[in-house]
Amino acid sequence: MIRLGTLFWLVLVSATGFAMFGVKYQVQALEDDLARTNRATASEEHELRVLEAEWAYLTRPETLEAMNRQFLSLAPIGTKQLHATAADIPLRPPPPAPPPPPAEAAAVIAAAEPAAEAPTATSAPPSEPDGVPVLAPEPATPETVAEPPATQSALRVMPALLEKPAAAPQLGKPAPVKAVAKSSPAPRRAKSLDDLIAQIMTSR
Amino acid sequence: MIAAQPHHGYDDNPCRPRHFKPPPCAPVVPEGPARKALEACRTRLFLTGILFACVFAVVALRVVEVVLLEGGTAQSHMPRFRIPATPAPARADIVDRNGRLLATTLDSPSLYANPKQILDPADATRKLVKAFPNLKKAEVYAKLTSSKSFVYLKRHLIPREQYEVNQLGIPGVQFQHEERRLYPDGTLTAHVVGYTGIDNAGFAGIERGLDSMLRDRREPLQLSLDLRIQYILREELQRVIDDFTAKAAAGLIMDVNTGEVLSMVSLPDFDPNHPGAIDPDHADISIADRMFNRDTLGVYELGSIFKIFTVAMALDTGTSTLASTYDATHDIHIGRFTIGDYHGKHRVLNVPEILMYSSNIGAAKMAIAAGGQRQREFLARIGLLKAPKIEVSEAAAPHFPAKWREVNVMTIAFGHGISVTPLSFASAAAALVNGGTLRQATLLKPLPGEAPQGQQVISPKTSEQMRKLMRLVVEHGTGTMAAAPGYVVGGKTGTAEKLSGRHYAEKKLLSSFVGIFPINDPKYLVLTVVDEPHPNKQSHGYATAGWTVAPATSRIIQRMAPLLGVQPVDEASPEIQRALMVESLQGKRLEAY
Repeated sequence: MIRLGTLFWLVLVSATGFAMFGVKYQVQALEDDLARTNRATASEEHELRVLEAEWAYLTRPETLEAMNRQFLSLAPIGTKQLHATAADIPLRPPPPAPPPPPAEAAAVIAAAEPAAEAPTATSAPPSEPDGVPVLAPEPATPETVAEPPATQSALRVMPALLEKPAAAPQLGKPAPVKAVAKSSPAPRRAKSLDDLIAQIMTSR
Repeated sequence: MIAAQPHHGYDDNPCRPRHFKPPPCAPVVPEGPARKALEACRTRLFLTGILFACVFAVVALRVVEVVLLEGGTAQSHMPRFRIPATPAPARADIVDRNGRLLATTLDSPSLYANPKQILDPADATRKLVKAFPNLKKAEVYAKLTSSKSFVYLKRHLIPREQYEVNQLGIPGVQFQHEERRLYPDGTLTAHVVGYTGIDNAGFAGIERGLDSMLRDRREPLQLSLDLRIQYILREELQRVIDDFTAKAAAGLIMDVNTGEVLSMVSLPDFDPNHPGAIDPDHADISIADRMFNRDTLGVYELGSIFKIFTVAMALDTGTSTLASTYDATHDIHIGRFTIGDYHGKHRVLNVPEILMYSSNIGAAKMAIAAGGQRQREFLARIGLLKAPKIEVSEAAAPHFPAKWREVNVMTIAFGHGISVTPLSFASAAAALVNGGTLRQATLLKPLPGEAPQGQQVISPKTSEQMRKLMRLVVEHGTGTMAAAPGYVVGGKTGTAEKLSGRHYAEKKLLSSFVGIFPINDPKYLVLTVVDEPHPNKQSHGYATAGWTVAPATSRIIQRMAPLLGVQPVDEASPEIQRALMVESLQGKRLEAY
């Protein structure tokens, strides 16, 4: 009986010892980890400070002015350029006609299907003859461009109504914006700032 | 088992069974030295036991305290085992009103060597000189072979240099952690931000004025300064100096409604990164001259721009009205002085004309009519008789006569005989046009919702009259070249002769201009002062304010207004004309000065 008790205590003592050392090493490892992370944070923060100082140095007004003179030739804004504010620009007028009910729109699209490469027809009045409004240059206004969601919703209804899903995928792509942009005579949209600067320089 | 030995005779039971073990008790030692020794031993054991018990009790109590009572003081011992998560820089950054960095603190380790640990001084010298070409070989070698155990090789390395030294891997060469204050914009904000010396203690400007604040805080200190506006002002003032070969210039731009200083420039200036370094281009200008902040530490007899205070005083105290007239036909002779007019009209002038044509005679007579007592009280009320309060450490008290005699009243009326700092002048002028509230000038951006306090020094009606009169000066008077179309500038020119010895020197001028725009709804004040401008061909032989600083003010306003979102207006529109109409001049033909 005594032996059993001794054994129990022995086991308990060694278990406690192991557990304690286990926890101790765990804590040590965690503290090392913390110290490492803190050092890394400190070094990153220091680097950040250096970079911020460098940014401030590189964007000094005199540097910017010299660079502007060399590359951009921007001039201070004159009074003439400030005659109106953004508030003076009229708001976009409401769309000319309410969008046609889905069924009708679907019908129009179905009719316009042969001319699928320019599917701006959704916003055109449904009464116009098929095919013609699609290619007319007049509807290429911002309203037309801004309405792809409506186009898509109309298209989503269409296959169910006409049970002709084979033709739908061609239209289902969000192509309309691109198509309109291509057909309009506006200058090419610059891909980057450098591109834009190059365009301005060539147009001068 | 000694106890079991029968021959000792203390087991008195002869019939004891063999397997019987005697009870575990101490043997009965007979009297004698052995027994004594045993008892001493027992006592010692007992005392030791008590001691151990006490210590264990303390440990147990401590365990209970730590585990059950949340540790007590245990926490305070912990941080010393940890590295603080982000070591705070020794000094807070300084940024402008848009968050742009003006001053920061960077680690910049210094390189030192312990010559006792250097194994091969010749090789180490060769490597170090290769890495730092501006170090001298002989010097480095002498340092590395010296008998000291600490010699600086180079102070304040940049990160790349530190990397290179690490690459060299010379034993005995080490880094010492040091911090250094860096001003990315160099001279541009030199006088406002100031600079620090060794140990990063503030020596000038905000760095000195708010030294303890910068030491204690972690988040950046935001100034009211706008770096863009600062650049514009500095560039235009430098242009005035170059165009008119002037000695120095000072400029201030202030928000008239809050007292915030958007820009403060004093030229010539210095590089706070290397204070004390001599500019090779202008080696003749002393360091002290460069470090002198002309906006807050320089006091000047500003001349005619002071007339706005004379007029405001006379109108506010009611001793004159806009229709009052004063005879400016003849010069005034008083004592050894003769007061005459620069743009003389030699006729009777009314109050708006006195300001427009900057008549010294008229201003002197207005002041006399009001009296010295009123004049002095008024100047004290608008803060011109005490040193300005501002965050930079440099602020000078004004010079004014202790005894306010009649001749002083006359000269002070047109800005002679009293010297004030441009900063005090700007604060007072702002109060004249903003509705009459004097606010302390500040270089710190107020927190949102923190309305700057001020005190009413003149009535809103007088303030409105002053706005109209200052508009007249730019529209028809001496300041026509300060006009910036669309921004409705109002202002006043001032050309003072500098005192040299006991006399005023006619060729040594101090030209100044105070411009406020838009004057119908004042937002910003631009004060420019240029010291000893010389006439050039473009100015037709003039070095007066109207030809030097007034055009500069026009350029400054046209450049800064779009940046600050001031919308230009049509100056000829009926509502602006009506707002700025001076009733007493109705129907009168204005002649050019």
